[in-house]
Amino acid sequence: MDLLNIDRRIIFVFVFVGVAIPLMLDFSFPIKPTEPVIRVFDEFERVAGEKDPVVLVSFSYGPSTEPEMQPMAMAILRHAFSRDIKVIAICLVADGPGLAEQALAQVGAEYGKEYGIDYAFLGYKPGLWAPIINMGQDFHNAWPRDARSTLISDVPVAANIRDLNDFDLVFDLASGDSIEFWWIPFGVEKYKFPFSAGCTAVMAPDLYPFLQSNQLRGMMGGLAGAAEYEHLIEIPGSATAGMRAQSVTHLIIVAFILLGNAAYFASRRKVTA
Amino acid sequence: MTNDKKLFIGFVGLFAIVNAILLGGGYLDMGWTSLGVIVAAGLTISLYSFLYHDNPLFKLAEHIFVGVAAAYIFGIYWYQSLYGEVIVRLFSIGDDPGTTTQRLLLLVPSILGLLILTRLSVKTAWLSRISFAFVVGVGAGFTIPRYISAFVLSQIEPTIRPITMDLDGLNLVLIMIGVISVLVYFFFSVEHRGFVGGVSKVGIWFLMISFGASFGYTIMARLSLLIGRVRFLLDDWLHVM
Repeated sequence: MDLLNIDRRIIFVFVFVGVAIPLMLDFSFPIKPTEPVIRVFDEFERVAGEKDPVVLVSFSYGPSTEPEMQPMAMAILRHAFSRDIKVIAICLVADGPGLAEQALAQVGAEYGKEYGIDYAFLGYKPGLWAPIINMGQDFHNAWPRDARSTLISDVPVAANIRDLNDFDLVFDLASGDSIEFWWIPFGVEKYKFPFSAGCTAVMAPDLYPFLQSNQLRGMMGGLAGAAEYEHLIEIPGSATAGMRAQSVTHLIIVAFILLGNAAYFASRRKVTA
Repeated sequence: MTNDKKLFIGFVGLFAIVNAILLGGGYLDMGWTSLGVIVAAGLTISLYSFLYHDNPLFKLAEHIFVGVAAAYIFGIYWYQSLYGEVIVRLFSIGDDPGTTTQRLLLLVPSILGLLILTRLSVKTAWLSRISFAFVVGVGAGFTIPRYISAFVLSQIEPTIRPITMDLDGLNLVLIMIGVISVLVYFFFSVEHRGFVGGVSKVGIWFLMISFGASFGYTIMARLSLLIGRVRFLLDDWLHVM
């Protein structure tokens, strides 16, 4: 009966220890990329084979999901820059610009990429799905300037982009509704451009139907998705390190579920007897 | 002295000692970045203190977060939208390339936006209905056909593909059984007995598996956030990683 009335704070301590200890130790669990993540990787490889490849990356997440989403952003930017794919980044949520600028500046510097020539950041635009329709009609009208207030026609990487179909791939990094309720209905369905996404683990189960219908060509779900992508590009980062803690804590939670159920059935048997 | 006061004094004392050791030992320098790390570490621990129970430290951190987030979002909206895209364009500030026609067109959404503010007064609140009518009308007009296309028509096609004799074919069969049985479960015009009851029970199983998958993913997501904060505390603040 004690196990059925365990103080939740004891479980919190176990979870904390399960996270902290693996982060401080150096060991690893095998990471096997899943099909949706491989499809994202293949999409970037396809884009790398195009002439003057350009990808639009939409940062639709904020600091509240940074531990899950930022490793994803870093991984896809590393893949893109390592294959000389140009990147134009935008934000459709208000608290995203800081993280987007940080990721672009860091990975851009790692690969010696120049702002304006190899990548650009256009800033934030409100309106949820409205900017997507606007971008599909006239990209320069939607983004007259970049985040540094330079006229878009003076930013070389974006100067020749007329609409969303000029991108070889559109990639959304999302922690909310943007994949399912903005990009797919108002972008992919209307303008038919290749689209892939990375999302928080909470969102991932809802997005599998769009993978089946190919409205979403590839998907990275949560920290596990980011770790799988780091494995594919062979650059282990914070997601790979985080998976140690993730795996150990999952085992602890499974153990508590099993213990709780065992205690429940044992108590029922005692009552029946 | 209440437990809350003891907790507050104990935390502040311990936090000050740890930071003094970190600063004295050269793990953190006397710059703005280190100050930011110390403040972030204090706020992180204060917020997680809610796991013990509700306390003044948690409330303090919560209120700081609400204030900072509101100001940050306002700053972004002001500089990148209101000032950057409306005021600069309307009043031709700087080297704005907008034409007179574009400026006149911009007046329409600007006026509609300002009308929403009339709700601040009871006498003028009726004017805001014009803006809301516009938002509802345009929103429904754009959304309904797009959602039908994306969520119904495009989803039906892969569900009714010809079944093949391989693993993909098995997936299709499972999806078909799942879709039909869940639809039957939510069809309340017929009593769920006999054959219909059996099919709806299969639907319940599919729903339960889907809820379980969602719950598992949710745990993974929440743990990822915890991992991020613990990594910050251990690495950026305490330097023990």
